[in-house]
Amino acid sequence: MSANKDGVWVGEKFNRKEDHRLTTGKGRFLADLSVPGMVHLTFLRSERAHAIIKSIDISAAEALPGVIAIVTGEDIKDKILPMPQPVVQPGLPGRFPKHWPLAVGKVKFHGEPVAAVVTRDKYIGADAAEAIVVDYEDLPYVGDPESALEPGATLVHEDWDDNIIFEMGFTGGDTVESQKENDEEVEKIMQTADIVVKNRFRVQRCGVTPMETRGVLAEWDDSDGMTAHITTQRPHIDRLALSDILEIPSEKMRIIAPRDQGGGFGVKAPFYREPILICYLAKALRRPIRWIESRQEHLMVVSQERDQINDLEVAATKDGKLLAIRNRGIADCGDGCQGVYWGFVMPFLGAVELPNGYTWEKGDVKVKVVVTNKSCLSPARAFGELPTRFAMERSVDMIANRCGMEPAEVRRKNLIPELPYTSVCGEYMDSGDFIKVFDNLLDHADLPAFRKEQEAARKEGRYIGIGFGLGVELSGVSSELMVPMENQPGYGAATIRLDARGKAIVFEGDAPQGQGHETTAAQAVAHTFGIHPNDVTVTTGDTGTTPFGSGTIGARMGSYFVSAAVDAADVLKKKLARFMAHDMALSGATEDDFEFSGGEIIYTKDTNIRQSFRDACERNIMAPINLPEGETAGLEHTAFFEAAMPMIAFNADFCTVEVNPENGQFKILSWTTSEDVGQIINPQIVEGQMQGAIVQGISNTLFEEFIYDENGQQLTADLENYKMATAADVPNMKITHAPTPCPHTPLGSRGIGEGRPSDVPGAISNAVCDALSPFGIEITELPLRPNMIWRKIQEAKAKQAAD
Amino acid sequence: MNTTVNITINGEIYEESVPNRLLLVDFIREVAAQTGTHVGCTYEGVCGACTIQLDGEAVKSCLMLAVQADGHDITTVEGLAKDGELTPLQIAFNEHHALQCGYCTPGILMNMDEFLKKNPDPTEEEIRHGLIGNLCRCTGYAHIVEAVKDAATKLA
Ligand code: FES
Ligand code: FES
Repeated sequence: MSANKDGVWVGEKFNRKEDHRLTTGKGRFLADLSVPGMVHLTFLRSERAHAIIKSIDISAAEALPGVIAIVTGEDIKDKILPMPQPVVQPGLPGRFPKHWPLAVGKVKFHGEPVAAVVTRDKYIGADAAEAIVVDYEDLPYVGDPESALEPGATLVHEDWDDNIIFEMGFTGGDTVESQKENDEEVEKIMQTADIVVKNRFRVQRCGVTPMETRGVLAEWDDSDGMTAHITTQRPHIDRLALSDILEIPSEKMRIIAPRDQGGGFGVKAPFYREPILICYLAKALRRPIRWIESRQEHLMVVSQERDQINDLEVAATKDGKLLAIRNRGIADCGDGCQGVYWGFVMPFLGAVELPNGYTWEKGDVKVKVVVTNKSCLSPARAFGELPTRFAMERSVDMIANRCGMEPAEVRRKNLIPELPYTSVCGEYMDSGDFIKVFDNLLDHADLPAFRKEQEAARKEGRYIGIGFGLGVELSGVSSELMVPMENQPGYGAATIRLDARGKAIVFEGDAPQGQGHETTAAQAVAHTFGIHPNDVTVTTGDTGTTPFGSGTIGARMGSYFVSAAVDAADVLKKKLARFMAHDMALSGATEDDFEFSGGEIIYTKDTNIRQSFRDACERNIMAPINLPEGETAGLEHTAFFEAAMPMIAFNADFCTVEVNPENGQFKILSWTTSEDVGQIINPQIVEGQMQGAIVQGISNTLFEEFIYDENGQQLTADLENYKMATAADVPNMKITHAPTPCPHTPLGSRGIGEGRPSDVPGAISNAVCDALSPFGIEITELPLRPNMIWRKIQEAKAKQAAD
Repeated sequence: MNTTVNITINGEIYEESVPNRLLLVDFIREVAAQTGTHVGCTYEGVCGACTIQLDGEAVKSCLMLAVQADGHDITTVEGLAKDGELTPLQIAFNEHHALQCGYCTPGILMNMDEFLKKNPDPTEEEIRHGLIGNLCRCTGYAHIVEAVKDAATKLA
């Protein structure tokens, strides 16, 4: 570790503060928490996808020793308010199906909780759940979103008149007339353009399951109220929602996200039904209750995203100028019973982000989200946009092929040349230089050399290919977008408390799950105060001590939270400066005449005048006499950072592959990225975010798929059947940077990593198609498995033979 | 049905009467209160988060019953550092940012600690194959591979 005496910590490699405890087994994850008297909750989950619950017989289960309580939907439906509750209901025009933590009347997907058992020991919980007998009467399974749209289709929610949970157009303005006119103009372009490529793109149901499943430990105290530890990205939202739904006053509701959480990636962001029941029972039974989700439960009910069909048409001129897009998206939502997102906010954002970093004259983009008898989609990194981006990035390559141009050239030609820019779907992109990022990537690609190598390889019967992809990612989500989208604020909030020894404590209401907040925030704050990151402690996720935050979501760390922390530190710096000016009688000195560096506060007009940071803090807190006029003692401040408009980050990738045409197997040979993450705070953490995200994208593209049989039985609820990438499956990566500092954040930093997997499937598929270009195959469906590639090669060969 | 077992964990002897069906991982986490050993996959033996060393061999503690470990000597991640002194592998994980959430990390450390003893000078390919039994969702593995390589060099 370099002793950085100048106090320049932003941009430095600084080994993570989190790691010591995590490498010595001293992490404190949810399952590591226990309290005296704690009992265990086990869910009995539905074996059927769609069925009436005729009866539930709990007598055998109740008789088992160690069973404390068993509850069913009927037992709780008059005691707990139903969802939806306004605080977890977005402002978007969707439907919000009524539901309770346990199924009432009927089950709507395989895995829906039907009953819950509270036991002294978790092994007995499993026995008891198994001893409950549920009598079901099957209803027709609604499994295909397109059939679910047909008139007369079985309804997932009987009180609705169809299965559409959300439907929206994203283009053509706010009035019916303007939209109609827009659609007609798009139609005209489609009719007259030199080239139109039209394809149906499908992305399977898959997601980013974290290694730690969900869990809750709730404790009720008659005077203090509820303290619930929840695996969550949004403790403050959980607090409000639980308070509303359980009718417990909010001051009696404290939510603590464990200091250590084993990954989230969006999966821990919704307001789920399980914590509602556990908190309710902790109070009703006056016992601390813990629930640790099993991996099987987890894969049955959460971590399921993507699952979209996009019928995308792209029009272009014959020299590769992109003109217009028309897309009809259909997303398979599952039952839609899930707070905050309701399964449709992801496809909503996916549609918004469809145009990506390209300029378009016109667009006609519409999406329908359909309920089915599956578990509700829950968010996964690359929120909603992985399927639309796959469609877009593949289409761009198809256009390039039709034009006889390099796909990279078509991309570069159509990149948004200057920011800010608002897309045809209304996405505002604040700043950056897309062309610089892409050119940096091209420098690393050396296309002419690759084409030569490719040609030579083909002569030897080897098929290598190169594929590009690029992506605009959200850098946090401003209130402007968050309020309508999720009915929550977008600001970042940070409290900084300096103590009398010159140490800083930073309080963050968002709850991290491995992103390194303790280190990144410590560096940013240390940098601002000119002290060492080891003198900064970061406390996260406890609603009892931290300011309100909407959660660790949408890359809010490097954009919103860090900015709030720096702003808060700045306020305290100014106060320290004013005190110093007063104490040292520096007449005429302003707040800006002081430099904070190397643990000292230095008067820049006479650098002999200096004070240690520690002494300055001590004077302020412990010796509050002889104060500057109008000042009070104390060094604590909460800042709320809000960017006026949404901010973005941008990246581009290329990969090379080799495909074996005999069996369709392929290998990713290399992966190179070019990033604009603005001002980097900790380069290693940034690199880790990128590598992790890209591998998640690779894993989604190649392996992961939730499969249901014809009766809606989920067949992939364990990690043996739901295959994730291992170390041996993935390539090394070269991460390169072409940054433009963000002009709207105090450090110039951008939030990164959330959307990062989104361009991966396009890049890989483009590379495979490029490798196999002699066969002219087009990949339009994921997962990209060798058998599919092999089949396409066979079809292409048959067609070539016939022609 | 209960059985009395005698299991040594990180040098400490635990003589306890336990249900026959108690999994070793639960014995370690709940009876011995060594919570560094994690559970990631509900006892399928796929994720590797529960990896420990049984008499020096890396094994998945969710695939064993506590009674099967009777008379054996177990090391968990808590037992790697001696007197607070981290091993080169632990240090390399920090240096190379080989962990994010850290949930998979204890299992990976216990596996790689044994791996490096058997294969002190591994190639990248060997390391990647050695890691097949450990899933990590956060890192993308590259930094883990670097850390293991670096630890191998330091240990040499
Ligand atoms: S918990 Fe043992 S391998 Fe996953
Ligand atoms: S660091 Fe999170 S699973 Fe490996």
